[in-house]
Amino acid sequence: MSSKSRSKRKPDQFDFVDKGANDSDSSESEESVYSGLEEEPDTSEEDQEQSSNQSDNDSSDNDDDEDITLDDKSGLELSTEQRKELSTASDDELNEINDQRYTGNVKSQNRKQRKQITVKTADRPDEYDYDSSDEEDIRNTVGNIPLEWYREYPHIGYDIEGNRLLKPEKGDQLDEFLSKMDNPNYWRTVTNKMTGQNVVLSKEDLGLIQNLQSSKHPDSMAENYQPWIDFFTHEKMIHPVTNHPQHKRSFIPSKWEKLKVGQMVHALKMGWMKPTKAKTEEEEEENFYMLWKEDEESEITRRYRAHLPAPKMPLPSHAESYNPPPEYLLTKEEEEKWQNMEPEERRMNFLPQKYSSLRLVPAYKRFINEHFERCLDLYLCPRKPKIRMNINPEDLIPKLPKPRDLQPFPTAQAIVYRGHSDIVRTISVDPTGQWLVSGSDDGSVRFWEVSTGRCMKSITMETGSLGNMCIRSVAWNPHPDVSLVAIAMGQTVILVNPGLGDKMVTNNTDNVLHSFSPTEEESTGKKVYADWSSIDTSDKRFENGFRLLLQHPKEVSQVTWHGRGDYFASVMPKGDSMSVLIHQLSRRRSQNPFNKSKGMVQCVLFHPVRPFLFVATQRYVRVYNLLKQELSKKLMTNCKWVSSMAVHSGGDNIIIGSYDCRLSWFDLDVSTKPYQTLRHHKRAVRAVNYHKKYPLFASASDDGTVIVCHGMVYNDLLKNPLIVPVKILKGHAISHDLGVLDCVFHPSQPWCSKAQCERRAVCCLLQNKNGFAQQLTDDRPTKLETLVSVGKTIYKCMSSRLSKAAHTLQANDTPASSVNNCWYRQEYGTCLSDNLGSVSHVTAVNNDVYPKNCLIQQATSTKCISDALSEVDKYGCEAKVVDAMKKLGDSPSSADDLKEAYCRASVTAYECVLSVVKYCGVTEGPRTIEGLTQFSVVRTACGAFLPVTTTASPVNIGPIGDLFPKSFFSSSTNNSQVTNVNAALNSGSCQPPRGAVVCVAGSVVLLCVLLL
Amino acid sequence: MMADENTPHVQAKFFTKQSQYSIPDTPYSVPAAVGTSELSSLINQILKGSDDSVDAGIEFDFLLDGEFLRVPLDKHLENRGVSSEDIVEIEFVERQPAPKPEDSLLHDDWVSCLQGCKECILSGSYDNTVRIWTTTGAPLLTIPGHSAPVKCVKWLSGDGGPTCRFISGSHDQTILIWEWHREENSVECVHACRGHAGSVDCIAINEERDKFVSGSWDKMLKLWSAAAVAEGDQEEQLEAPTKKQKISKKVQTRVPVLTLSGHTEGISAAEWLSRSEVCTASWDHTLRLWDMEKATQTSQMQGTKVFLDMSYSLLNRQIVTASADRHLRLWDPRTTDGAIVKCTYTSHNGWVSSVSWSPVNQYLFISGSYDTVMKLWDTRSPKAPLYNMSGHEEKILAVDWSIPSLLLSGAADNHLKVFQYNDEKHGT
Repeated sequence: MSSKSRSKRKPDQFDFVDKGANDSDSSESEESVYSGLEEEPDTSEEDQEQSSNQSDNDSSDNDDDEDITLDDKSGLELSTEQRKELSTASDDELNEINDQRYTGNVKSQNRKQRKQITVKTADRPDEYDYDSSDEEDIRNTVGNIPLEWYREYPHIGYDIEGNRLLKPEKGDQLDEFLSKMDNPNYWRTVTNKMTGQNVVLSKEDLGLIQNLQSSKHPDSMAENYQPWIDFFTHEKMIHPVTNHPQHKRSFIPSKWEKLKVGQMVHALKMGWMKPTKAKTEEEEEENFYMLWKEDEESEITRRYRAHLPAPKMPLPSHAESYNPPPEYLLTKEEEEKWQNMEPEERRMNFLPQKYSSLRLVPAYKRFINEHFERCLDLYLCPRKPKIRMNINPEDLIPKLPKPRDLQPFPTAQAIVYRGHSDIVRTISVDPTGQWLVSGSDDGSVRFWEVSTGRCMKSITMETGSLGNMCIRSVAWNPHPDVSLVAIAMGQTVILVNPGLGDKMVTNNTDNVLHSFSPTEEESTGKKVYADWSSIDTSDKRFENGFRLLLQHPKEVSQVTWHGRGDYFASVMPKGDSMSVLIHQLSRRRSQNPFNKSKGMVQCVLFHPVRPFLFVATQRYVRVYNLLKQELSKKLMTNCKWVSSMAVHSGGDNIIIGSYDCRLSWFDLDVSTKPYQTLRHHKRAVRAVNYHKKYPLFASASDDGTVIVCHGMVYNDLLKNPLIVPVKILKGHAISHDLGVLDCVFHPSQPWCSKAQCERRAVCCLLQNKNGFAQQLTDDRPTKLETLVSVGKTIYKCMSSRLSKAAHTLQANDTPASSVNNCWYRQEYGTCLSDNLGSVSHVTAVNNDVYPKNCLIQQATSTKCISDALSEVDKYGCEAKVVDAMKKLGDSPSSADDLKEAYCRASVTAYECVLSVVKYCGVTEGPRTIEGLTQFSVVRTACGAFLPVTTTASPVNIGPIGDLFPKSFFSSSTNNSQVTNVNAALNSGSCQPPRGAVVCVAGSVVLLCVLLL
Repeated sequence: MMADENTPHVQAKFFTKQSQYSIPDTPYSVPAAVGTSELSSLINQILKGSDDSVDAGIEFDFLLDGEFLRVPLDKHLENRGVSSEDIVEIEFVERQPAPKPEDSLLHDDWVSCLQGCKECILSGSYDNTVRIWTTTGAPLLTIPGHSAPVKCVKWLSGDGGPTCRFISGSHDQTILIWEWHREENSVECVHACRGHAGSVDCIAINEERDKFVSGSWDKMLKLWSAAAVAEGDQEEQLEAPTKKQKISKKVQTRVPVLTLSGHTEGISAAEWLSRSEVCTASWDHTLRLWDMEKATQTSQMQGTKVFLDMSYSLLNRQIVTASADRHLRLWDPRTTDGAIVKCTYTSHNGWVSSVSWSPVNQYLFISGSYDTVMKLWDTRSPKAPLYNMSGHEEKILAVDWSIPSLLLSGAADNHLKVFQYNDEKHGT
């Protein structure tokens, strides 16, 4: 039971015992600080003594009267007088054991008297009034317990002798009521819970309670509002507050001060001390200070606050155990390896070892070393908090609009312009968007109708002295009133009037060119960079559209027009100092803008609106001002080899494609470095282009794709261009490592045209061969047989004029390289010769390249025949073979005629077949009619071409072997044209099919196909 | 009916406007997942029950709220957001017969344009000639006259009389008006209309057949007189491009009555909507309506893609356009509010180069595309065409449905294909 707990409980019990209770408590607690240590021995001594006393007094009277105890006590006091003097504490402890309420400042001498009083307390309750509150209920020895525990009992505890302290008599409710009515002090009577006695509160007590309740000073006597004595008034007084006379020392100068001043004066004289400058007003004004300086943490406090604990040592692993599992032990090889390794390289810096018991484990030798190293680590390696960026990776991706919102842009292949027989290197669209011009390695320039894919015109270049027929570049004059196309081929630049579009424009252009007369300036002896020559109207080339020729000293790789259509530039990469020439059409003269070569020029471009010229060398793009004749800008492309360049129609942005797969966008206003670089292509970028109207640009690459990007340039100078790739156009085949070589946009529609590197003719032939074979395999199981049967058919159809046709074909193109090719061509030749009936026409056709190309490329379908016919028609053949054949088919006069009609019908496709069928009544059944076999042959020959819709025709094709009666062949061997068939048949490793017999008679070859 | 109780059923009421197939107006419970063929057999059974004379093998098509049933019924209802609890009213019509390939007329070059009239077919070709064929496929005439590929041909008067007249426009920027004497089978160029500065891409003749308009790549729309004699005609020597000149040497040059500008790109198609109103479609993504009497543009409809062709039906007063984005669009020129594209028909795989309404059926039209397929459409079936007509091996450049029983198509494979279409039962 500590005194503290008791003092805590006091207010709860509402014990109005005494005013000095606090004092007594505090003193008691002071003592109890050291009472705990001494308590035990003291009490034990006490007990012993007590027990000894008791044992002494055993014989004496057992009646426990007060005197004996008193004696005991006094005797004890006497005997332990010295001890008492030394420490009152022990005495107090004793008292404490005896009585909870005993206080230290009560004198022991009074004790006897007190006890006597307390014994009589119950008898004389009024004594409480005058007695000091300290001694109020010292008799109860039950301790500090709730008195409710004694509710059941008549007593409330025990006195010091162990006698019961009886509860005071308590009246019933009636008594309560009566006292309430009668007793004037009833309202100030409270019950002491410790004793159960009723206490009548005094007037002071009541005042105290009231003061406490109203939060006033508890002492009612204390004065809250003392009168104020105003010593120092605001009024000025005449007399000082104190009227002392002034002290004498205030009149005498201070010696110490004099000494100090003297020292300072001396220091000033000696220069040790500098007089402080008089502060100027400005300085005073500028006396700023950091208002929030306190907020800045000093380095030291920051380090304390942001303390980084040292990293913990790793916990020992299994391998470090004295008895590791056997798999952790190293084998000998591993141990050797460990030994040979550098200490830094070792994965473990110890060797696991096994001990049978912990006692055998030796001291760890490296303990000091390791700890020293660790200390070094901790000391030498600064620890620093690593700030991890808490960034969502998706936030780093720029917000791009969806391609769907950026329409229109090209999405699908619409038209293929078929016709070239070699790679198409360059294309250009006319300013109205109706025509497309393409230049190819086969030496031809073709003009196409954009909307249908029709080749309107084809110009084949004559093989020059150099023999290089590749068209390197074509460019349509951008001016709508000029109808001219510049073509770069070899060392010449040719200006061609295509004669398409408005006739007025065409004629005007011709007139302007024709009316040119050389000025005097021209004749003066200036250096001539390019040789201009015009083509006379009498020249054969004039009809093809040739108007002007510009002979260059070196090979020309590019031509480009100025926006107004009068100037054009040509690039000769190997021309050194003359690599760029600017030609003026109206005056027919050429200029060399650059004296010195700045590198190999890749391409040049005119600025669309201002007099600037962009010149791209391998790594840089230089922008020249043509008026001031100076270099205005030099763009760093950051790529290895520039391939192509395009200028935005606004003129402030250019894109550059390079052979290292990059496409760079430059904003000329902003920087000479790329604003953005796109690396979407897998192979070299061959061409780039802007759309004139829509915010689109495209890049063509050797990987066979064209990537179309949305490139929005804003009028707002602060807004950067928005570049979003929107579409990859695929579909081009890659041949010879070349993919898409050029791409241009339609001037008004969001369409993109591409030049393809592809040998179209070959491709088409192969495709058709496959198609043909596929059709026939339905009848004949194996492919070889199919081919053979095809061959048979072909040979048969070739009949008499095969030889000539083969010859024709041989002259036609390069030697046939494959069986399929050969066959196909033979068949085609057959058709031709059969139809034309005159070899001379064929040869006439073959002499011209366009029909030749036409034949090759359009051998895809039956229309090739009519194509050929129409071409032949142009060259003077008057026979309208188709018409004739139709007539023949309409009214067959004899069996022979019918046969011939069949044969011919084989080439005029199904319309004729239908008529034949109609007239012969074949519809009734295939085998009912004479001449069925011939018809079947016809069917077979046209089988591939018959449209799906007509397959309702009931003709059944029998086994092919049945279809070739000998008579048919014998009747068709009557031709005696002299040719060399051998070459035609065998040059392409073409085996004569089974059943074919080749008869050689002198120099005359007759071919006869017989069936086995 | 289906005996299975577990399958969901829909109450359906059938009706038809074709009186020979009328059936009692009682609702039938049909399985929800029923298709067209089952419904067709059901109708056939009902018809057979009521009248033995009806042939049982008739194929029907079914219309719900003006749209053809092309998927199972429940899916169709789900797509349209119609409750399957209510009684569904289904109209049935006899299925359109399939067009049959009839003939193929071989040209010397690509067939760029064509038009049929009663017994003859007129076709223009890239070999600069115009040809006249009989509807049975016999060639009547090959007419050289233009010096560049012919882009458009139109019959001016082709019905019956001994003399027929027709017009042809060409890349050589001229329009020639021809007279064809049927009995002699000879042709004569009577007028050469000069004035365009680009290829003449379209011609449209008004109902009175005394005027026609032409659209050209030079962005101009010109109105010409089609009368035999007009003011301002001048005699002119027409240079003969080939030696097979059959026409007379004297032709009269005609100048345009009116020239209207407004389009920013070439005009691809033109049609007369009424006596004075002309609609043009252009490469500049617009349809424009012109008043020919006031010589002004009255309104404009903005599209999103290049218009390659357009056709106007007198039966339903609607326009169908063919675009470079594979779609066909149905327009109503009478509406002025925003939603003027009434329907979009998508099935082609390439540019749709030409389109033509049926002259007798207000629901049907045909379209030809660069994907070599000609399609027959019903306006009530926007998702799928009724029939695909394949046969061409190259781009189809022109289609025509001037003769009700013949569908014509001309293509870059030099063929003009004729399909027979038997539409007797569906006259409006």
